[in-house]
Amino acid sequence: MNVRNLELVFGPARAILRSGLIWMLAIATIVFMTVAVWPAFRGDTTIGDAMKNLPSGVVEAFGLQDFATPAGFLRANLYDFFIPLLIAGAAVGFVNSLASGEEDSGRLELILSQPATRQAIFLGRAIAVCAWVLLITVVTTLVQFGSDSMFDLQIGSDKLLATLALSFLLAFFTGALCLAVAGLWGRPAAVLGVGLFLALGGCIIAALFPLSDVLKPLAQLSPWNWAFDGDPLVNDTQPWRYLSLGLPGIALTALGVWAFGRRDIAAA
Amino acid sequence: MEAKVPSATRPAAGPPTRARKSGEVILKAEGLVKHYGSVKAVQGIDFELRRGEVLGCLGPNGAGKSTTIRCILDLLRPTAGHIEVFGLDPRHDGVAIRSRLTYVPGELRLPERLTGRQLTDSIGRLRGGLDNSRRDDLAARLKLDLNRRTRQLSSGNRRKLALLLAFLWPAELLILDEPTNGLDPLMQHEFVCLLRETRDAGTTVFLSSHVLSEVQRTADRVLVLRSGKIVAQGTVSELRNRTSQRVEVWFDGGVPAGLGKVPGLADGRKDDHYFTASLTGSIRPLLAFLAGKPVNSMLIEEPDLEDAFLDLYEEQQ
Repeated sequence: MNVRNLELVFGPARAILRSGLIWMLAIATIVFMTVAVWPAFRGDTTIGDAMKNLPSGVVEAFGLQDFATPAGFLRANLYDFFIPLLIAGAAVGFVNSLASGEEDSGRLELILSQPATRQAIFLGRAIAVCAWVLLITVVTTLVQFGSDSMFDLQIGSDKLLATLALSFLLAFFTGALCLAVAGLWGRPAAVLGVGLFLALGGCIIAALFPLSDVLKPLAQLSPWNWAFDGDPLVNDTQPWRYLSLGLPGIALTALGVWAFGRRDIAAA
Repeated sequence: MEAKVPSATRPAAGPPTRARKSGEVILKAEGLVKHYGSVKAVQGIDFELRRGEVLGCLGPNGAGKSTTIRCILDLLRPTAGHIEVFGLDPRHDGVAIRSRLTYVPGELRLPERLTGRQLTDSIGRLRGGLDNSRRDDLAARLKLDLNRRTRQLSSGNRRKLALLLAFLWPAELLILDEPTNGLDPLMQHEFVCLLRETRDAGTTVFLSSHVLSEVQRTADRVLVLRSGKIVAQGTVSELRNRTSQRVEVWFDGGVPAGLGKVPGLADGRKDDHYFTASLTGSIRPLLAFLAGKPVNSMLIEEPDLEDAFLDLYEEQQ
């Protein structure tokens, strides 16, 4: 990789340094603070008894089953909703900032007038987003393991790694869809709309549609379902779940790169 | 002025020199059309820019100047027509073309968190090298502090930074879109000096501007756009000749008969020893008529490009 190509990645990566660190710190803090209260819930049967009064569908929809076990505690408080959503939200924000936002504001014009192809410029931004999302996931993983050790939350590291890998891939898929939208249209509103719909709407579809017999089959359409329906904190994760997020993510990124090379660039 | 870029990092195209083939067409637009939906921004324009020339592009807001430039840079794809830069197609050979040109955007937006030095370093990495001493020289000439973040800079200082980026690398073609917007008169003068030095070094310049005096002082030829069409093109003096200028003549004695019928004169008015009229085109027939006549004094207002420009627009409207 030559200096020019490195700059096409590191330049955008530097541009979101501050927001990347803020996302990273926020997620790590949530993980640490949540695990810190685990000793108060460990072995507590009263919560489990309270859950028995709720409909089983609602308990499953909100990931509340086995709340007093390490897997149930992490699922209910972190990995059924918060952490995947926050990492996906970071991906949406980064894409909006580096691709559609930069184009819409006119800041991309200076870069596009330099001797680099449009595709290389866009791909550099995609790699920068992916690297930041990966870095946030890695730091989250380290904080999770550190907190688990500190507060004696015992859970299989393979299950935890699988859950965090799926969280990363869900964010990658969400970010890739945003990249495709940015490449096709370059409108920040479209990128944010599509990204947030997938992140929030996908979560709601996966959680609530199974409560309705009519809507239940549609829950399969949500990437959240592909990622977490197998309860990766408890069960082994089937390889197709990784592929179902990773491969379309790569294809969507490629679509964004291709489309960005073929259309007019918005003026400031 | 040629920057001394280390040979290992010098762009492959090399700097412009007078030794390069003069008169070679390096930018050509043929039937260029660009529509944004129902908006016809450019409606079939043709022009050429030869090596070493400074082509001024004039026109009011919405005339199609920036759209033309953005087509040249491949930021926009023409609806119809054809553009060639250095004999290459911007769509397919964009990298080769952009490595040989520099550009100042009209609507200037810079990364806000970078200092001027960091921004020039970053662009330097994209362009394959950077001459630090030339950067410092240019910053001193433009009175620009490179250690301040761009968001802390005034609009004038941001414009200076964009100009520094345009003049920092040895380019064969310099494309400037409203380059002096926001600059004070002293800096406008410095810009003209830089432009002349660059032109003297053999760089070709496409200058889009609202500042007529700037174009008048620097351009070899002028292209006037209105509503996406070329309404005039030619040298500055050719455009000047299209406009009328006020002539006043005082005679020792009466006004000679037949003066009002001299070709080019119109709206003649005489009063004892004094005659005034508007003159369009060459002054030679008038001078030939006055030779041998008892002329006491004579005053001819110098027409400028602004008059020509306004006349052109009045004609079109």
